[in-house]
Amino acid sequence: MIGLVRAELQKVFTTRMVWGMLALSLGFTLIGLVVLGVFAGQQGTPPLTEPDGALTLFSQAGSGLVFSFVIGTLLITGEYRFQTITHTFLATPRRERVVAAKLIACAAVGAIFGLAGTLLAFAVGVPAILIRGGSLSVIGGDVVRLCAGVVAAMALYTILGLALGSLLRNQIAAIVIGVGWVYVLENLLVVLLPGVGKWLPGGAAQAVYGLSSPMGGDYLPAWAGAALLLGYALLFAAIASATTIRRDIT
Amino acid sequence: MAAIEIRNLSKSFGAVRAVEDVSFAVEAGGVTGFLGPNGAGKTTTLRCLLGLVRPDSGEALVGGRRYADLAAPLSEVGAVLEATSFHPGRTARDHLRVLCTAAGLPAARAGEALDQVGLADVAGKRVAGFSLGMRQRLALATALLGRPKILILDEPANGLDPAGIQWLRGFLRHLADDQGCAVLVSSHVLSEVEQTVDEVVIIARGRMIRQGAVSALTTGGDRGVRVAAAQAERLRPRLEAAGATVETAGPGVLLVRGAAPETVGQAALDEGVVLSELVRERSDLEQVFLELTGESAAPPAAAETIPGGTP
Repeated sequence: MIGLVRAELQKVFTTRMVWGMLALSLGFTLIGLVVLGVFAGQQGTPPLTEPDGALTLFSQAGSGLVFSFVIGTLLITGEYRFQTITHTFLATPRRERVVAAKLIACAAVGAIFGLAGTLLAFAVGVPAILIRGGSLSVIGGDVVRLCAGVVAAMALYTILGLALGSLLRNQIAAIVIGVGWVYVLENLLVVLLPGVGKWLPGGAAQAVYGLSSPMGGDYLPAWAGAALLLGYALLFAAIASATTIRRDIT
Repeated sequence: MAAIEIRNLSKSFGAVRAVEDVSFAVEAGGVTGFLGPNGAGKTTTLRCLLGLVRPDSGEALVGGRRYADLAAPLSEVGAVLEATSFHPGRTARDHLRVLCTAAGLPAARAGEALDQVGLADVAGKRVAGFSLGMRQRLALATALLGRPKILILDEPANGLDPAGIQWLRGFLRHLADDQGCAVLVSSHVLSEVEQTVDEVVIIARGRMIRQGAVSALTTGGDRGVRVAAAQAERLRPRLEAAGATVETAGPGVLLVRGAAPETVGQAALDEGVVLSELVRERSDLEQVFLELTGESAAPPAAAETIPGGTP
């Protein structure tokens, strides 16, 4: 099983796409960090020198969520698109093992994206707080929990990408639908219909981040958000398995 | 125990019956051609054999077991399925290394297999820049990774240039003769495999037509003697007097049945006719194939009208 996970990770890291996605993900985080570093404290937003402001700043670590989703999608749709799924199943005819290895690899890659974003947030955020004359004491347990939430959410969205890709198989369709969901629909629902939005993966991630909702609605408690994220991960894993294990590969 | 055994295999895709009650066996140490026109069900049969497609009924066994039950499948069975099944952004070596990792083979096998198929020079190149022929060689390298004793190749000659086809023939013979492999190679073009295979399995429209040695298929049936001469017609009375039937096969060409070539030659000598051609019409595999699969006649009719036997 370890060999299979390593094989899946090799698949991810032997194409250039993963570096492009990581660069985009970090780029989004960097833009968010710079914007907040410059404008935090204006127009009623909390300044970086306060815990709320610091938390908002560090939440930028998860800005690249959509790119970890795309990597998850590519790990399965690329196999169908280029028919490498044939080789994969010839090497490992017990497909449930392939699916399990892909799930673990996705979680690992997503976590790597999350960790990279977190490191970047610290690299930019700490000097920014100091330059603003703040004390590093604003970085407390909330920020640690937020960072853990970012890593978990990135891992989950990579698995979400895998599940959607397994279901649709068409690479373009999976990416368009996924990006539309993550960027547009889910954000709208979380902001405009918080009663619904808080139950979605995005809402659950926000709950773990510990941020307050921009429209005043309440997110779930952090533990419930974490449990919900785990539940979604299991649901997506089930979708990925069910759609992959019995299908004829022609 | 047969290296490959297909027993009463059937598979439909929706309303299309791709394979219907196909049975055959392939022994080790030989090359078997799996022949049939496009759409005959060759690929579906092979994919059932490799556990990629789930048959509706029947069994497909390699080394006496279902593919999914093999402990180390790449070390027992090597398969070449499509020429294009590579991620274009991955190098040839990385493609093989991923499979080595998944199959628990040493990573060094990637380089060795590339050597074996003559791709060592481009091991570090991305597959996007590969020609169809290079992809076929890479596919073959994929099949050889685990040094399997059973090889299954679906249309491996597609996209190869004549030199490549010749190389492939020699390579398949080497695997069968020197390494004792069982090789099953499918093709819809007979001339590609005719000189390479020991046995043929012929299917058409999803049904089994015939299995046998190539030699057994091409002998049998008096196809006559073909004789060409400017004054060929002058031979006719003598040949008919000798009990042969004579047909005109073209201007100055006769097809003589029921007479040996010597008889025709003697008639020519006696008549003082200069021959430009005298050939025993051998039934070649191509012709047998066309007759057996019914491709020489009208386009395929409904599956029910396929004769179970042969003319």
